[in-house]
Amino acid sequence: MDSLKRPIEEYDSVKTWFEGLRVQSGVDPAGDPSRLKLLEEFCTFTGLDPDQVVAACLLIKDGRETKISIKGRRAMAEKIAEFQAQRSDASPGERARRGNAIRSFLIHNGILLQSGMQI
Amino acid sequence: MEYKEVVGRRRSIRYFQSWRPVEREKIQIMLEAARLASCAVNASFLKAIVVFRDDLDRDTLDALKTPVSALNIELAPVHIYTFADMSAYRGAQPRLKQLIDVGALTATHGWSYKFVDEFVWPNLLKPLSEGSNQAPVAAAAGCDAGIAICQAMLAAVDEGLGVCLSGFVYEPLKKILNAPEQWLPLWVLLVGYPAESWEAGGQRPRPPLEESFFEGRYGKPFKADPKVTEQLKAAKMIQRPAPLPWRKQEIQALARMFGLPE
Repeated sequence: MDSLKRPIEEYDSVKTWFEGLRVQSGVDPAGDPSRLKLLEEFCTFTGLDPDQVVAACLLIKDGRETKISIKGRRAMAEKIAEFQAQRSDASPGERARRGNAIRSFLIHNGILLQSGMQI
Repeated sequence: MEYKEVVGRRRSIRYFQSWRPVEREKIQIMLEAARLASCAVNASFLKAIVVFRDDLDRDTLDALKTPVSALNIELAPVHIYTFADMSAYRGAQPRLKQLIDVGALTATHGWSYKFVDEFVWPNLLKPLSEGSNQAPVAAAAGCDAGIAICQAMLAAVDEGLGVCLSGFVYEPLKKILNAPEQWLPLWVLLVGYPAESWEAGGQRPRPPLEESFFEGRYGKPFKADPKVTEQLKAAKMIQRPAPLPWRKQEIQALARMFGLPE
């Protein structure tokens, strides 16, 4: 996979995600390997690795002062919506699951995102 | 429900049964509770506009959302947009005299028409009503509006509803609500039937009494009497603290139900 230089689970942002899932959401990330597959697919879709996906939502000044970038986050939310809509043959629930896996990844990396109801 | 239990049960509810309308009469009960709240100089500082979510078009609803409140705004079938009326001191003079007439302000405490007309109104309240010093007006208006909002929230809990105060973006609503310029936007009170259990994971963490309240002077904590604490537990005002053991599973179930990320 072009955008990934090493196994996806070795990226810091992926470790942060899994830790967040375990500790804050009470979810065992190993219980559903499709999460990682979806993130890999999203990385291919955007041409970014997981850490770059997070960084694209941030404004980093002098390498320390970090803020969420309104434009960056909005652009990423649109990318996720596009990614979710790609599978037009999938059920609405399955499409929501695709997008929500990526949202969950970003949320646990500190990027507040809300999907709205998808029922 | 007894008052203490109502206080104990109130939580900020963030999952509403989006499909279930709230009866208009329950909203009226909330507004009546707000109307009857304590207020300085008998001024109704709280003003509110009730909006039924489904009366808003999609674009307006989307424009109201902040990054943090977007989902709540979508889920809650009723939005009560609250404002502090910065002009509420106007008319305080006759209102104070009305309080003398009804026996609320009395000579035993030094009140008279003359005191109102010649001292309180011209020296204290008239300058405030003319906006010569906005800071005390904003403080009084904000405080009194908050008291009234709280009563509305507790009334809602007593009616089996869930409530959550949230920030809102006023600009897209300005034309729709047509609120007077002197109304200061405060919060939107989101109302609906809870989709989560009424316990909502348990009573939220709060600092102990002694950390916030003092006796006689700052630094001398107001000591909680353990017997009173036990009484409040029995009366269900102090309840099981969050997180309850099943809270994470509840959130997972809600996430699945509404199609939300975990």
